[in-house]
Amino acid sequence: MNVRYSYLGDQFKNCPELWVKLKKFVSTGDFTLGKPLVEFEKKFAKLIGTKFALGVNSGTDALKLSLKAIGVGHGDEVITAANTFVATVGAIKELGAEPIFVDCDDTFCMNVSLIKKKISKKTKAIVPVHFTGYMTNMPELMKLSKKYRLPIIEDACQSILGNINNKNAGTWGKTGAFSLHPLKNINVWSDGGVITTNDKKIYEKLKLLRNHGLLNRDEVVISGYNSRLDTFQAVIGNWLLPKAKEITRQRIVNAKLYDEAFSKIPQITIPPRPNNYKIVYHLYIVFAKDRDNLLKYCLKKGIEAKVHYPIPMYLQKSLKYKNFKKKDFPVSYLHSKSIITFPCDQHLNKRQLNYVIKTVKKFYEKK
Amino acid sequence: MKKNNSIPFVALDKQWQQEKSQLIKIIEKSISRGMWVGGRDVKEFENNIKKTINTKYVVALNSGTDALTLGLKLLNVKRDSEVITVPNSFIASTGAIVHVGAKPIFVDVLPDQSMDYRQIEKKISPLTKAIMPVHLTGSINNMDKIVKISKKYKIPIIEDSAQAIGSKFNNKYAGTFGEIGCFSAHPLKNLNAIGDSGFLVTNNKYIYQKAKLFSNHGMTDRNHTKFFGYNSRMDTLQASILNFRLKNLKKLILQRRHNAELYMKLLDRKNVFFDNERFNQYNTYHLFVIQVKKRDQLKKYLEKNGVNTKIHYPVPIHLQEASIFLNYKKGDFPETEKQSKTILSLPIHQFLKKSDIFKICNLINSFFKKGIN
Repeated sequence: MNVRYSYLGDQFKNCPELWVKLKKFVSTGDFTLGKPLVEFEKKFAKLIGTKFALGVNSGTDALKLSLKAIGVGHGDEVITAANTFVATVGAIKELGAEPIFVDCDDTFCMNVSLIKKKISKKTKAIVPVHFTGYMTNMPELMKLSKKYRLPIIEDACQSILGNINNKNAGTWGKTGAFSLHPLKNINVWSDGGVITTNDKKIYEKLKLLRNHGLLNRDEVVISGYNSRLDTFQAVIGNWLLPKAKEITRQRIVNAKLYDEAFSKIPQITIPPRPNNYKIVYHLYIVFAKDRDNLLKYCLKKGIEAKVHYPIPMYLQKSLKYKNFKKKDFPVSYLHSKSIITFPCDQHLNKRQLNYVIKTVKKFYEKK
Repeated sequence: MKKNNSIPFVALDKQWQQEKSQLIKIIEKSISRGMWVGGRDVKEFENNIKKTINTKYVVALNSGTDALTLGLKLLNVKRDSEVITVPNSFIASTGAIVHVGAKPIFVDVLPDQSMDYRQIEKKISPLTKAIMPVHLTGSINNMDKIVKISKKYKIPIIEDSAQAIGSKFNNKYAGTFGEIGCFSAHPLKNLNAIGDSGFLVTNNKYIYQKAKLFSNHGMTDRNHTKFFGYNSRMDTLQASILNFRLKNLKKLILQRRHNAELYMKLLDRKNVFFDNERFNQYNTYHLFVIQVKKRDQLKKYLEKNGVNTKIHYPVPIHLQEASIFLNYKKGDFPETEKQSKTILSLPIHQFLKKSDIFKICNLINSFFKKGIN
């Protein structure tokens, strides 16, 4: 049997009604900051539960523009997670600021209790990364944010509709940054991103920043970027957003099935599943003994398992100048040796899921 | 208000009607591959551009603005560097300079809206890291002169060719004179996608390799990051559309050139100034710009008679609110400022009928003859 990782082929195989919408849209020529985009932004804000949402070119840009909007610039420090995807750090570096790393805990998100000692006079913001569909401990982080008056920009790229105590990712901080990349839970046919916020001033500033600082066609009030979500992609987003809750529900159902079965395998450890968290499983990850061989075995058996990521961010060549040692972020390091990701998306059927479980069982029985 | 016989400035709806049956198939095919970032169509696009404008390397990106930003980064322009450019461009050229932390140093323009190359040398300082001419409207700068200065002072050229795909100077394509050429394929450009997209071109292998990484987070593969880059990739879907439209580019440019010729034949030069193409230029007329007195009245008059015109651009960059920190004032660039009050862009798209151009020219000529206000 074959359990593929990318389901993009299945997702859009049968959607004649979307094609009708797209054809109708293209004939309007309304390609840049057009009407369907405005509609999408309204729907997105409503889905997440913020006053405003703004379509931008990518999740990376959602972070970059957010940081820029709250005034992060050259020489500032921004605290973030040591195990994130490169884009978080790239956005910080692009503004001339310096990333200051905090280790994660077994939820793959930054360990909030480690932040305090990293705060300096130069700290301008904290970027918690709701990695893999988990949530950073936001209630605790908000306390810290208030105490030190440090704004929070949430990297919610992998956690759309994730929540703690029913409060969604992207609604806690000054802004929330989302990605609509083809491999994300809610996806379009290209790079794409969204920023959510409740702050009208920040919203107005972001609107300028994403479109060259143009107040209207002829007046430029600040120096901005070109970072717009294509209106064409917004048409796809509008079609997909009503399905968002169902997609999330199905992923959670799949994850529960895995959890139940894997909890009976002694060589597998399941990360904590706190009751007040809604985890949306952009990635379904467990800790596995003899991970490298398990990965090889799965691949051989037609299961496209992956590792997110085998080299943690802080050990990448691009951060060589920081002279980090492996043991500087011990939990992130340990994870990189034991984590494995199994396909968990909404298009998998029960037979495929059971095949994954059976294969993992078999691998350990063999030994 | 749209009148039945009104003449629009752009005609994307007509373009779609013309290409619909073929484009839908192409879009469907591209989507069904399930490959929406990178992939075959993007590679094909890069190869097509190589052939179209005769350059060694092409990197497809998210926008023309990004091409400029990345281009400057690749030339090692950074905090406290200076870049010489013009104040009559679209804001993106100066925006890119500001965003890499450098300072834009403006030189005024010539009557034909191109960079006044005679003023470049006196603006060069030890901090100058690049010269950025803008081939505005599809009309190419005097690249002989600019290249000469670039060689003399060993300062690289980055060409803003966003509006000038296919334009030539001495038979050499816009974007291939400097170290790096930057292009846009925004929906309103001559070569247009249906969303933001752009690309940069170079003959320098080292720059190319670095640009490739830059556009994808600095990642050499899924798990290794060499340096911090951007997320700036051309959508696969847009690449597939551009591949199709590239086949028609030459014809489209010819149609626009015919339209321009007709304008130049019919407009009364006593009242209307426009620049003739020089013998060593081949312009592609992304825009057709005239310079006139009583510009605002003429614009209103044309609008009243169903002709949609635009101004590119009514407020020069050095006088924008965003430029306050640069401490420029009114009068610093007299030619640019004068033109901002006299320029008017007439419809020039490939779907114009001859009769449309006759109508527009008649209106303009009679406006001045009769002194209509």
